[in-house]
Amino acid sequence: MEFKHRQLDNGLTIIGEVNPLAQSASVGFFVRTGARDETSAVSGVSHFLEHMMFKGTDTLSALEVNESFDRLGAKFNAFTSEENTVYYAAVLPEYLEQASELWMQLMRPSLRDDDFNMEKNVILEEIAMYKDLPQFEAMDQGRALHFGQHPCGNSVLGTNESIAALSAEQMRDYFSHRYAPNNLVLACCGNFDFEGLCHSANNKCSGWKSAEAPRILSPFNGTFEKKNVQNGNLVRQHLCLLSPSVSMQDSRRYAASLLGTIIGDDTGSRYYWALVDPALAETAGMQCESMDGAGVFYSYICCNPDNTEKILEIINALFQDIQNSGISQAELDTARNKTLSAMTLRCEQPMGRLVNLGFNWVYNKNYRSVAQEVDGIKSVTLNDISELIEDLKPGKFTQFSLGPRELA
Amino acid sequence: MSKLDFYKLKNGMVLLGEPIDHVQSVSFHFLLPAGAALLPNDCCGAGAVIGDWLFRGAGNRNSRQLIEAIDSLGIHWNTGVSAEHLSISASMEADSLRPALELFADIILRPTMAPDQFELSRQLAVNELQGLDDDPRDKVMIALKEQFFPDPYGRSTMGELTQLRGLTPEKTAAIIKQCFHPSQMIFAISGKYDFDAVCRQMEQFFNGDTSYEPFVINPEYKGQSYVHYPSGGAQVHIGLMTAIPPINQGCYYELMAAVSVLSGSMSSRLFTEVREKRGLCYAVGARYRSTKDYAGISCYAGTTPDKAQETLDVIIEQFNQLKNGIAEDEMQRAQVGLKTSLIMQCESTASRAAGIAGDHYLLGRVRGIEEIRDKIANLKPADVEKTLQKHPFEKYTVVTIGPKEIISNQ
Repeated sequence: MEFKHRQLDNGLTIIGEVNPLAQSASVGFFVRTGARDETSAVSGVSHFLEHMMFKGTDTLSALEVNESFDRLGAKFNAFTSEENTVYYAAVLPEYLEQASELWMQLMRPSLRDDDFNMEKNVILEEIAMYKDLPQFEAMDQGRALHFGQHPCGNSVLGTNESIAALSAEQMRDYFSHRYAPNNLVLACCGNFDFEGLCHSANNKCSGWKSAEAPRILSPFNGTFEKKNVQNGNLVRQHLCLLSPSVSMQDSRRYAASLLGTIIGDDTGSRYYWALVDPALAETAGMQCESMDGAGVFYSYICCNPDNTEKILEIINALFQDIQNSGISQAELDTARNKTLSAMTLRCEQPMGRLVNLGFNWVYNKNYRSVAQEVDGIKSVTLNDISELIEDLKPGKFTQFSLGPRELA
Repeated sequence: MSKLDFYKLKNGMVLLGEPIDHVQSVSFHFLLPAGAALLPNDCCGAGAVIGDWLFRGAGNRNSRQLIEAIDSLGIHWNTGVSAEHLSISASMEADSLRPALELFADIILRPTMAPDQFELSRQLAVNELQGLDDDPRDKVMIALKEQFFPDPYGRSTMGELTQLRGLTPEKTAAIIKQCFHPSQMIFAISGKYDFDAVCRQMEQFFNGDTSYEPFVINPEYKGQSYVHYPSGGAQVHIGLMTAIPPINQGCYYELMAAVSVLSGSMSSRLFTEVREKRGLCYAVGARYRSTKDYAGISCYAGTTPDKAQETLDVIIEQFNQLKNGIAEDEMQRAQVGLKTSLIMQCESTASRAAGIAGDHYLLGRVRGIEEIRDKIANLKPADVEKTLQKHPFEKYTVVTIGPKEIISNQ
């Protein structure tokens, strides 16, 4: 594997991890923008814009865009989070150049009014779809409760009202600075020619104008509020618990990620033995999400509504025990082995590797090889975890509940 | 050329392998003859209970020791129930393979089956089943299979509440005893491994020779063409399915191409006509589904109530129009999409292990990558049209869940 890096004069960063033995290649544009970069007047615009990027350019219609990718056999899509919008395609090596050039064209879209009006229907359908997925709803509302006024609590989808009120002009204005080349990273993984990629980027992207694309990075700890939303249509109780964690810029993020695995992995974790093994909850998981200048531990629990109070008692006792007695070396070793084998499996496919490569650069402007990531995980000690627990106090959390129960 | 490893134990158990160059991981996949359709009639959901119960102690390890042993090796594992099999799969770094096979042999052949642990496994299965009401997208597709396939092939793999409650540890242990015969098992491995060493180890564990007596099945169509389940959600969730010949009847590639033209990508007909041109929904997609003897193309769409009727009508229209012709460029896009999926599947040890096990069961042999690639490359639009004219979509089974019932205009 060989890492490559180049920057165009307008600030567009191009990075690549070349693996000549791979059977495929993947390419993506990482845009440093998401719901946290929106004002309330344009809530949901980042995600809506992500849909509109597929609608074509002055020379390509939406259908032509989709046909062009499909002619390359590309597995292509995009996703929007609170702070990133990522466009990606995985292809066989012989199609990588064309897939990359297609994305380069699409990064300067037309954003036509008629496409905007039609796609608004699809966005409203997507909002309705997630309303029928209580797990998503609990996580989304839990996040908003935890972050309060902090922009990390902004909704990615927006609301029916904010989307209905959004104009194409507002979207074009948002696009003009958030998609400036200095706010974009073009990343590529697998079997491909880096010089060829840079040559294409130079031809197609060097005319893009740079612009200011600031982001508010205010420190934040969480509101630690409690809220229950009663919904008689639901049959299970859906709990979302959130507590502060470390950011992507914090060297303790490996320790935080392992702590999430120790407490809330699918099997063999503290949650598993306390909640799933005794069949009190069918789902109980916790993970660490490190973000730009902030971080959060998420727990999601799905259970029989009658078990809710008992489960919360158990969770409180579980965190108290961790706070008092820490975790064992065996727990740390197991979490480390699970994390390392998951990484091996993920990184054997260029598409699995692309997201890590891109995000490392977006957040930290550096390259970390798989070997460095492995070392980062291996070097975490029991003492690191103890200090983290002492510092973050994960037992103090924001609590959101959604389900048929009326809870105090 | 892809290389296929094959070995048959004396008792008939099949071991398959496909090495993948340059990877550090290995995955294996067991197909056990304990699918939902193969179980006794009053035991719907027993597969889900068994899949959990097996991991609650095996060999000389109790539940906690077993999970800790698996986790400490960094093994990522899964169980699944289909109509015909209970599958158990595991992925890991190659160094962990030998102890992993020992553990999984214990789990399959020497589960403890403690009654107190059974109650917990059953409670989890009940929880999961009840939770389905909060997931209408999954629920509609489970209900669709129940209506579409002849019973018991459409039986819900998650179970039926009264039957789950009626299961006992004794009854469930008896099912395990009757179904878990090495002679009927298929084992597939892919990634970095030494096949001779794997065979020696498997021979040591799975050499039992017993007579196998399957439960008797008499498939019978009981489903209706349209069923609606009222619910107070935001969307109407639509599931639709139509019959096609099963995979072993010779027109698999033509039908895969047809599904790909319908729904393989973003320029496919359903995405273009339902979402892009009309803005009727966010999620719409079709899939090929086959058991050994029955197959269908299924489709899911979720849409707000006022658009539900139009969504269903447009989907059925697109299904019906397929036999009228497929353009050359549509066909080329379908072909390159199928080829890419195939090659990417071969980069994943877990996908490939599951793929070769499934091939062996459904076709009686494993297709090499080159064979599949050639078949896809040689397809012509006329082949697909001919297949669809010979096996037209005659009727559709439709299930909806949501605040509004719709009428199927087929």
